[in-house]
Amino acid sequence: MGERPPLAALSLCSPVSAVSQCRALHTTVSRRGLDQFFDHPENWGETNVKSGAPWTAKQLRTKSNEDLHKLWYVLLKEKNMLLTLEQEAKRQRLQMPSPERLKKVSRSMVRVETVVKERETALRLLQTGQEKGRPGAWRRNMFGYAYWYRYKEYAIPWYMNKRYKRKRFFTPKFVQPHIRLRLEKHLREKARSATLQRGTRSKLKEKFPQMKVSAS
Amino acid sequence: MPVSRLLYPLYQLGNPQLRIFRPNWFLTLVRPGTEQPPDTVQFRIPMEMTKCDIKNYLENIYNVPVGAVRTRIQMGSNKKRNHRNQKIKQPDYKVAYVQLAQGQTFNFPDIFPEKDKTPEEGSMEDMEQKFMEDERQRQKLDPRRGGVTEWFGL
Repeated sequence: MGERPPLAALSLCSPVSAVSQCRALHTTVSRRGLDQFFDHPENWGETNVKSGAPWTAKQLRTKSNEDLHKLWYVLLKEKNMLLTLEQEAKRQRLQMPSPERLKKVSRSMVRVETVVKERETALRLLQTGQEKGRPGAWRRNMFGYAYWYRYKEYAIPWYMNKRYKRKRFFTPKFVQPHIRLRLEKHLREKARSATLQRGTRSKLKEKFPQMKVSAS
Repeated sequence: MPVSRLLYPLYQLGNPQLRIFRPNWFLTLVRPGTEQPPDTVQFRIPMEMTKCDIKNYLENIYNVPVGAVRTRIQMGSNKKRNHRNQKIKQPDYKVAYVQLAQGQTFNFPDIFPEKDKTPEEGSMEDMEQKFMEDERQRQKLDPRRGGVTEWFGL
């Protein structure tokens, strides 16, 4: 009953703002798969190939998971085709027709990935209560900085891992004076920038008394 | 960036085969520099891909029957220098030579054929061309003077 037409519904351009002369919707008829690495033969030799707008995250959130999966592969094939075209243009020392298509496809792919990740995190939160897929912990490195360390998979336990043991996750005692000096430097810089800003503002105020200062 | 520093699970003997959804790898079909046998296709692939990866990629996504795959890494030159005499590195890339199965052959087509560029009447290009021809005609010297410039008197 729900027999969908194979890739015809998923065009590379978003449906709302697609140019009407976007490539004619006939599904891949190529006998060999390698023809998918090239554009339609009508577009060979053109200087401008029309293409629609990239997919936005808002539009992608309305699509189902299967649709997003299929769209990813449509975009992947299109990107491969554009990359082959770019390389061939460089070889023949000619200009690639409409290079902005590459950016559009890359951005669409990034947005598909973000939408899929959003759905995955939502599902994970509902099922397990974890918001991050990869386990991690807050650790302090040798320089005194605390950061989110993400766990990596090893075949041996940590006490047998020589390279892991060389990376110390504590701050040695002799680093404490350096941390204090670093903190002093940071505070000094902040104070300097604050006084500089105050000075410039007061100078401007005496030149232009009616000046309105933004509350920042 | 979509997949930043993807960490694939560690493989140990007996693990199930890794399945990748939404692969972030792009192949570039290139014209061979030297002469290749008719069934060989040349690709530029990302460094992380292996021969098995390419076989599975082409078979599953493109339905291309793949026979043998051979790969090599091409070093990008570090010889060029910029205006500051610093060395400029061209990126390295991996090249894959894929031999098609079932006796298929592939010939790299001519993607930039010479097209007759005659703009149709009334279009913008046509008007531009006419205008440029008019300008050029005006810049030309008097034909009655036989190619001699106006600098010479009389």
